[in-house]
Amino acid sequence: MLQTHLLRSLSTVNANEIAHFTRLSAEWWNERGEFSFLHKMNPVRMQFIREKLVETTYDELPEEAVNAKKVRILEGLDVLDIGCGGGLLSESLARLGAKTTGIDAAESNIAIAQHHASLDSRLPRNLTYRHTPAESLLQEPKRYDVVCSMEVLEHVDNPVMFLKTCAELLKPSGHLFLSTISRTPLSYFLTIFMAEKVLRKVADGTHTYSKFINPSELLDFFHEFRSPSTPQDAETQARPWISRLYDGQPTRKEAELRGMIYNPLSASWILAPRGAWGATECNYLFWVRKPAALGGEASEH
Amino acid sequence: MLSVHGASRVLSRPLHNTCLNYIRRFASTSREEFDVVIVGGGPVGLALATALGSKPELNKSLKIALVEAGDLSKVRDWSPSPAAFSNRVVSLTNASQTFLQNIDSWDHIEQERTTPIEEMQVWDGVSDARITFSTSELGLPTPAEGMARLTETLNLQRSLLHHLITTPSVEVIDQSRVQSISPDEISGAWPSVMLDTGRVLKARLLVGADGPNSPVRAFAKIPSYGWSYDTQAIVCTMEHPPKGPFLGPNTTAYQRFLPTGPIAFLPISATASSLVWSTKPSLATALKACEPPVLSRMINAAFRLPEVSIRYLNNRILEAHEAGTPITDEEIRSEILWREQSHSIDTTSAYSSATVATSASSGIPPLDAEMVPPVVTSIQSGSIASFPLRYNHTESYVGEGQGSRTVLVGDAAHTVHPLAGQGLNLGLGDVECLARCIHQTVLRGGDIGSYTALLPYTQERYVENHKIMSACDKLHKLYRVSSGPIVQLRSVGLEILNELDSIKAALMMTAGSVSRTDRPLSYSSDTRAAMFGAAAKGFEGMRMAGQVLEVVKGGLVGFVGNALRNAPTTRQR
Ligand SMILES: Cc1cc2nc3c(=O)[nH]c(=O)nc-3n(C[C@H](O)[C@H](O)[C@H](O)COP(=O)(O)OP(=O)(O)OC[C@H]3O[C@@H](n4cnc5c(N)ncnc54)[C@H](O)[C@@H]3O)c2cc1C
Repeated sequence: MLQTHLLRSLSTVNANEIAHFTRLSAEWWNERGEFSFLHKMNPVRMQFIREKLVETTYDELPEEAVNAKKVRILEGLDVLDIGCGGGLLSESLARLGAKTTGIDAAESNIAIAQHHASLDSRLPRNLTYRHTPAESLLQEPKRYDVVCSMEVLEHVDNPVMFLKTCAELLKPSGHLFLSTISRTPLSYFLTIFMAEKVLRKVADGTHTYSKFINPSELLDFFHEFRSPSTPQDAETQARPWISRLYDGQPTRKEAELRGMIYNPLSASWILAPRGAWGATECNYLFWVRKPAALGGEASEH
Repeated sequence: MLSVHGASRVLSRPLHNTCLNYIRRFASTSREEFDVVIVGGGPVGLALATALGSKPELNKSLKIALVEAGDLSKVRDWSPSPAAFSNRVVSLTNASQTFLQNIDSWDHIEQERTTPIEEMQVWDGVSDARITFSTSELGLPTPAEGMARLTETLNLQRSLLHHLITTPSVEVIDQSRVQSISPDEISGAWPSVMLDTGRVLKARLLVGADGPNSPVRAFAKIPSYGWSYDTQAIVCTMEHPPKGPFLGPNTTAYQRFLPTGPIAFLPISATASSLVWSTKPSLATALKACEPPVLSRMINAAFRLPEVSIRYLNNRILEAHEAGTPITDEEIRSEILWREQSHSIDTTSAYSSATVATSASSGIPPLDAEMVPPVVTSIQSGSIASFPLRYNHTESYVGEGQGSRTVLVGDAAHTVHPLAGQGLNLGLGDVECLARCIHQTVLRGGDIGSYTALLPYTQERYVENHKIMSACDKLHKLYRVSSGPIVQLRSVGLEILNELDSIKAALMMTAGSVSRTDRPLSYSSDTRAAMFGAAAKGFEGMRMAGQVLEVVKGGLVGFVGNALRNAPTTRQR
């Protein structure tokens, strides 16, 4: 009785606010609404993250020590989701055991994400959302095992600054996952001409073609890039993140590019096989790994 | 409604969060929460719970409840005498068996109570055109295992239940009827299932495995369309002498297509077989009201006598029933005897049943002995029952809007004519696919109640089920047409062979014992699509064949044999 009474008085205080974000959240999370393509893409992103993490543990541990079927593969890892939006990726990361922090520059997105997470009482408690730009996190000492930023790169004004921030937020040997769109005639046709202008699936003006970044540009960036000379990164500066490119391709242990292809027949996205021709012409996923700390490497040998 | 400005003004986060967290905590104390609530403890619901519970890696991620109105201890403690068989018998295809093996449930099946089907004899009651398919023809890796296995539904349910009892992630809640289901006030939130015991279960994913009258389907407002066949299926357990030493074991299933519907003889042991006789409701009622020996004689006649005589006998039964003077055993015996004589059926022929000795004959059997099932001598008491037959297919397997987070499997999603013995096999196919989708979604951290997670399930199963269902439907309807080109085709047996071939293709698809589990979605549907392609090529040949019907009427048998890619043996009596 007391509980019911309490609930009622609490909910009248915030009834309007809750109603507002309930509606926004319902829109954002409507799997068949404006954001349907994101909902459909999410399993493919998670598939890539999962596959890559399993693969790297196979590289590092004896085979019998790896359980590829384990659900909570991110157990105990600190994971940052930059540009979390309504929390689609963050919730999935949290379910796989990650201590997840979702951040977004838009305050309403954070409210939507928080509201939605509150609907699922079985979501792990280690999911937190913060309204903050990524750059502010650099002021804090905390660094992450995994940094993800999905469909954000094509929207930022200064991609170089943005990539450097992501890089610096990682612990040594940390994983960076990005997904974005290539700057190709195909991507212009599909994402701007068709999606925005013709089908109007996505709000007009969502994308700016000149901001799209090509896979080769990302590879070149990390081929040059060395961790900045901050105290945390002193140990990881020995080599650029991608030490060598063979025919323009990185080695499997340093970085990887995978296309995402939309299959209109099944209305779903599929993760293109590694090296599939032309698959990264439009939407693609990128993974790169921060070099290990020198101390750690030395003690292994 | 609040303006955007207003919204950000009152967005004082601490209070906002406290409030939502409070609701969350409050909600979870008043109701029990489950990741999966399965309504229905029939074979399909039990199989789904077992499939989800059998993956050790899912155990920690999924909390599952299975709700059943009936008393499942009766299923768990079912222990019939070795010679007595339940009247609900299903044929499980090899694909279904492999699936049950993969979820560790096949071991609990009492194997002695099951029989492999090594051969099927199907023939047209009007033209007597016949199609035979045997295990060796299907090119199975283990022919002795049969193309399917006849199993009592209870045997299967008991085995699933025994496995479930040892599965900690599944709570079995029986003797609890779902009274109502309500959506949550907040959209996207979890539906609540109210039980008549007062318990309330909140479900991330609500599964309707609750049979043809599915309350879950009604809650989710998933439209369903179909029709009643104006047909009842009589089932019972028939007893007969064992086949003599010169004949094979009792592993041949027989089905004859009569204008009133098909009659099927399904072996379950050396001396017992199960009947599924689809017929007009009035005749079903009259037959059930007869003395059991009369039913035995009518079954024997229905597999043997020419169609005109069966029509005559049916009328006799109906008239006697309406007059309130049910026909006696002696009356029906002399009617059948007279019919046999007038068709000049020799008393030594397998087509004669009126005078046959009731004990096993040790002598040389007649030449045509394999063409018809053994003579039924008695019917197990209390085993006679009947079911109305329907065709029903929902518009979707996944609920939307207020009904979101719901999904249908088994007879809740589709009911099909039993003539190809596919009903439960389709349901087990649903279970295998849904369990695979759920598993994949869990591995990717997705929400298993979301539309995105369930979409591949609908995409994969809907088309596949529809193809088999419509083949069964067409086959049944062929016999409800009394004039026109179909009848002409039927009279020479071509059309039925054509339709039967699609059933055969369906059987072949599920007969292979290759595991379907653990295969990526796209691969398995591609393989099946390819198999459909192969089956379709066979049909193409048949269609062309139809155009030259006039020319080849004479040499029909050989020609049909060539037209079918996996040439069945066709025989004419
Ligand atoms: C005559 C006949 C012959 C057949 N032969 C074959 C064959 O040879 N091969 C084959 O594969 N299939 C065959 N079938 C089909 C097969 O029997 C069905 O496909 C199968 O039983 C479906 O299983 P199910 O679990 O989906 O539904 P059901 O077996 O109908 O189970 C539904 C369960 O839900 C429970 N339930 C319903 N409402 C509620 C509620 N409100 N609260 C709680 N619980 C509830 C019921 O008590 C029931 O236990 C045949 C069917 C018939 C009629």
